[in-house]
Amino acid sequence: MPEPNGAVPTVTLTIDGHQVTVPRGTLIVEAAKRVRIEIPVFCYHHKMDPVGACRMCLVEISPGPPRPQTACTTPVAEGMVVRTNSPMAVSARADILEYELANHPLDCPVCDKGGECPLQDYTFRHGYPTSRINAPRRHFLKPIPLSERIALDRERCVLCYRCTRYYDEITWDQELTADHRGADSYITSQFGQPLRSIFSGNIIDLCPVGALTSRVWRFEARPWDMAYTGSVCSRCAVGCNVTLWERRNQLVRVTSRQNDEIDEGWICDRGRFEYTEVNRPDRIRVPQVEGREATWDEAMEALLDGIQGAGHRLGISIRRDVTNEELFCLWRLLQGPCRGARVALEGRTSLPAPGEDTLLIRDLDCARAIVVVASDTADDVPIVNLRIKKAVSKLGARLLIVHPDRLDLDRWPEAEHIRNRPGEAAAAVRELAGHPLLQEGPVAILWGDGRGSEDTRELAAAVAELATRVGGRSMPLYRATNERGALAAGLISGVPDDLEGCEAVICYGPPAPGRIPASARFVAVWDLLLRPEHGSPDVVLPALGFAETQGSYTNLEGRVQFLHPVLHPEPPLREGWEVLCELGQRLKVREMDFVGIFQLQRAAARAIPQFAALASPPEPEPQPTPVLYGPARP
Amino acid sequence: MALSARAIEEIRSLPPRFPHLRSAVPPALDIAQEELGRLTPEAMTEVAEALGLDPGYVEGVATFYTLLHTQPLGRHHLYVCTNLSCTLRGAEEICHHLRRLIGVKEEREISADGLFSYEEVECLGACEYAPMLRCDGRYYYDVTPQKLEALIQGWRQEAGNGD
Ligand code: SF4
Ligand code: SF4
Ligand code: FES
Repeated sequence: MPEPNGAVPTVTLTIDGHQVTVPRGTLIVEAAKRVRIEIPVFCYHHKMDPVGACRMCLVEISPGPPRPQTACTTPVAEGMVVRTNSPMAVSARADILEYELANHPLDCPVCDKGGECPLQDYTFRHGYPTSRINAPRRHFLKPIPLSERIALDRERCVLCYRCTRYYDEITWDQELTADHRGADSYITSQFGQPLRSIFSGNIIDLCPVGALTSRVWRFEARPWDMAYTGSVCSRCAVGCNVTLWERRNQLVRVTSRQNDEIDEGWICDRGRFEYTEVNRPDRIRVPQVEGREATWDEAMEALLDGIQGAGHRLGISIRRDVTNEELFCLWRLLQGPCRGARVALEGRTSLPAPGEDTLLIRDLDCARAIVVVASDTADDVPIVNLRIKKAVSKLGARLLIVHPDRLDLDRWPEAEHIRNRPGEAAAAVRELAGHPLLQEGPVAILWGDGRGSEDTRELAAAVAELATRVGGRSMPLYRATNERGALAAGLISGVPDDLEGCEAVICYGPPAPGRIPASARFVAVWDLLLRPEHGSPDVVLPALGFAETQGSYTNLEGRVQFLHPVLHPEPPLREGWEVLCELGQRLKVREMDFVGIFQLQRAAARAIPQFAALASPPEPEPQPTPVLYGPARP
Repeated sequence: MALSARAIEEIRSLPPRFPHLRSAVPPALDIAQEELGRLTPEAMTEVAEALGLDPGYVEGVATFYTLLHTQPLGRHHLYVCTNLSCTLRGAEEICHHLRRLIGVKEEREISADGLFSYEEVECLGACEYAPMLRCDGRYYYDVTPQKLEALIQGWRQEAGNGD
């Protein structure tokens, strides 16, 4: 409860002799983190409501009853003294672990969680060396596939309910549940059907034991045998932060990396599982001219020949995860020798460039009302969809939907849904200004292109007008990873892409929109793989995947985020910006002879205002898992 | 097997009587089970839809309560109390006798004629009449092997006449 001046009152307490001052209402387990004391937890998760199900977090609190209490459900109080190392707390923790292990199969050697498993770590740090329990263990068939991508091992489960609570609280979709609650309880998918949710993979990260593991990344390596870097997801415009894991120069897994500005530690299944292309044995590694392997030199010559004189009949199709740096190079080319060429961006919307002062994802947290227009956010911008759900179910925002179909946001019982006819979203938005749900601000308006059904210019005008009238801000929901960067560089605009009629086409990535135009006489494909949609190109150039390239993306809120490659490709593979610079130099463009990416980034920052952040790339992130010191074992 | 329109109607009328929507799930499931005999995935989905909840949540509730059944049962399902008072007064013998009478080896197994199944339950709140059992919504007190035989016989005859 804020005080009249807006300040949140604080409370001072002592934890293991350290004084700490935290806002009132903070839970003991969180207060302890401030003094770098790790209280072990299974069921508690900092992004979900506490339940106190596992009792792993027992501590001694005085004043208070003479028994251990849960640090994850007890809020701090003034003058409270918490002991995590008293004999009572130490033995309580060890006793709980003894019970946690009563049914545990102890199959760590064949468990993918081994090495990053809280149960393993806590047992090592806080458990008894032996067990007094000698009863038969529960047995289950294992592992059970919950979907193509996730396996469940019920014997390893400690029934913390993190996974089911995540589904319930965070995604609003109870595909996972606990059956036969009580001593015989086990986790199951709804009626044993496969999980369908696009958010399913987060339960792998959430599970504090090896009960939920990936089937895509299975029995590949121990965590300490992998290298990892913090990077950015390449699959859509949200720009969730991820950790990339490498082993033997293969990208073996992608996990979440919490950034509260954007993703709050969640990623969707596209980001988590759609990374395997870069490992494919049939990857293009060497340039080709007319089906035969060639040197870069030969391939570049053939490419120049092919596009020579094409003028405005040159089409350039760009992959969704093109970097800002590559966009800058393309911008230079389009300013110069390729002036008039047409450009298409894979998987993008037809939304126009953003207006001034667009909403940030984190602003959804303080919105009192959220309006979602012409977008199925779960599909278009998955992790923004979770942020909307949080704002509505945890922070009390009201939800108003303008869309022709039933959406997953309709699971909110109080959601108000205006069903416009496809193509008439703008008219529906114009009628919203007096709507009772929008009388209290701030109002956040998120709007998409209705997957092509809406006239986006008209909708943009209607949204801007509504924003002014209700005192709100808006966010256009771009889909392609670097769509906002491409708009900033002026390569695309609010009209749908069309390369029909182009005679020469350079296709960087899968063809946009959908296929190579039939009119193309010359086609150069620059990609990781040759795809059926590519047909039989004249020139083929090998491209890099997002896990092996330097550069940055501009996400849908305009935030520039840098990639940190975890793979280090061998020649003849080359960085995309290098290839474009060479092309520029061969076309006699001045100032494309950058000696390194930093120089290029500084030039891009000067040339395009939205790329200003490129001038100061951050140091690589510190390693993600902080090692806290914890209480001793008995 | 689908729920009747009347059952759906009744389920829809439940929520206003409870502080939380989710509190309406047990009585709703009771209505469904009353009508269908057991809770199939389709029935749980229908209940979920009628209340605007996820089927997964309803499934979690349905499998929690011993009085709700997701597996097929005999037409007459006997709940035999084996809590302290009843056990002291011979509940185990009653169960043993019952298994022999209806020809099953374990709880929830259905007799060959499809008429009977049984399960052991905790206290049903009639300790003063131990041992006791519950069947088809009725309590049977001071059960003895003889009384049990008569009961089973009665149901068998009823079924025979009905056919
Ligand atoms: S599967 Fe994992 S996350 Fe789910 S309840 Fe079991 S231990 Fe917890
Ligand atoms: S929401 Fe977009 S950026 Fe985030 S994980 Fe999914 S695909 Fe990647
Ligand atoms: S972490 Fe506190 S009870 Fe589970």
